Amino acid sequence: MATEHERWQEQSEIFALGALDGQELKDFEAHLASGCAICEAYLRETRETLNLLHRSLQPMTPSATVKNRVIQHIAGEKIAPIRAPRPKESRRWQRMTGTIAACIIGIVLSGTYYHYRYEPRHTVYSSVIELLRDPATRDHTLYGTGPTPTAKGRFLWNESGEGHIFVSDLPAAPQGKMYAVWTIAQQSAPRYVGIVETNPEGRGGLHIKVAKSNRPAEVFAVTLEPLGTTTAPSGPMVLVSKQS
Amino acid sequence: MLRVPHDAEDLLQEVFVQIWHQADRYSEDRGSPEAWIMNITRSRAIDKLRSKRRMEKSFVLTDDPARAESTENVESSAAESETKLTVNSALANLPEVQRRVLELAYFDGLSQTEIADRLKEPLGTVKTRMRSGIQRLRDMLGMKVA
Repeated sequence: MATEHERWQEQSEIFALGALDGQELKDFEAHLASGCAICEAYLRETRETLNLLHRSLQPMTPSATVKNRVIQHIAGEKIAPIRAPRPKESRRWQRMTGTIAACIIGIVLSGTYYHYRYEPRHTVYSSVIELLRDPATRDHTLYGTGPTPTAKGRFLWNESGEGHIFVSDLPAAPQGKMYAVWTIAQQSAPRYVGIVETNPEGRGGLHIKVAKSNRPAEVFAVTLEPLGTTTAPSGPMVLVSKQS
Repeated sequence: MLRVPHDAEDLLQEVFVQIWHQADRYSEDRGSPEAWIMNITRSRAIDKLRSKRRMEKSFVLTDDPARAESTENVESSAAESETKLTVNSALANLPEVQRRVLELAYFDGLSQTEIADRLKEPLGTVKTRMRSGIQRLRDMLGMKVA
């Protein structure tokens, strides 16, 4: 049975290629604007693959004039933060040197930033994509309940013990409390699988990897618990899936 | 993509200047810095292609987009060469009909409807070929390219 997201994922591939058009393009852009984390992750992964295609082309060295044109264009601009503290920088070579240095620093900072900020997130996105690729992965909607009736979420779960939870509109846990995530199999006690944290916008996520269980999980829930609670839920339930 | 070295150099200059001006707009949420720069470049290239097409009513698509032109090649590192080989191999391993629609979209900037018109194929067929091609590329490149 096709899930709601299979349709969006089909369109996200064509969107990533830049070929989606007409009403489908408008609908998909509206869906993205609604903040769908699954489609964002899928789209990003597809773009990363497609962006390799340019490497199939034969690279060519641009003429030397291009570099000069770029540097002249940039060096001739009035950039207050650079010019204000250096009033003596009237000679062109000084401006050019500063521009080149700024470029180098920018590249180095971008690389550093990429490695420290982007790589971990990329790993999470890749893990989510791998989950979605597996036909055995189930996609459960989470519904707000108890003190947070407007909270929403999705729970991707694979019986191998891997899953991912997305939550939104869930306010940050009060001081001394945490949001504990549980999977529940029939005739079994809830199993603690991790803590999900939210940002100031009420959004959060957690990638889950636990040992495979003999009993398939049927219900997925998030409860508000005192810090350190991992054995059994005792606090109010804030999100729960409908029993499948 | 543009097939004319002079146009490509103009585009290169425009892209560098745009990146210089808009560096603060980069967000890691939308992909790696390389992906961001590639998206800007490709988007501007497609704008130029479409503008050119509007002017040249007798536009004729070449089967081999700029691939055979290799007048002045930059020296590639071993890793880049390996990646290029892998990507070329992945493209070559796609069925011709899938490769064709991907190239028309990616390198020529045609939309799904424009591709269907050009190939005189039903839109649904074009969509299926695109998606199948992308999925095969993901499988092949995902395994081989780090």
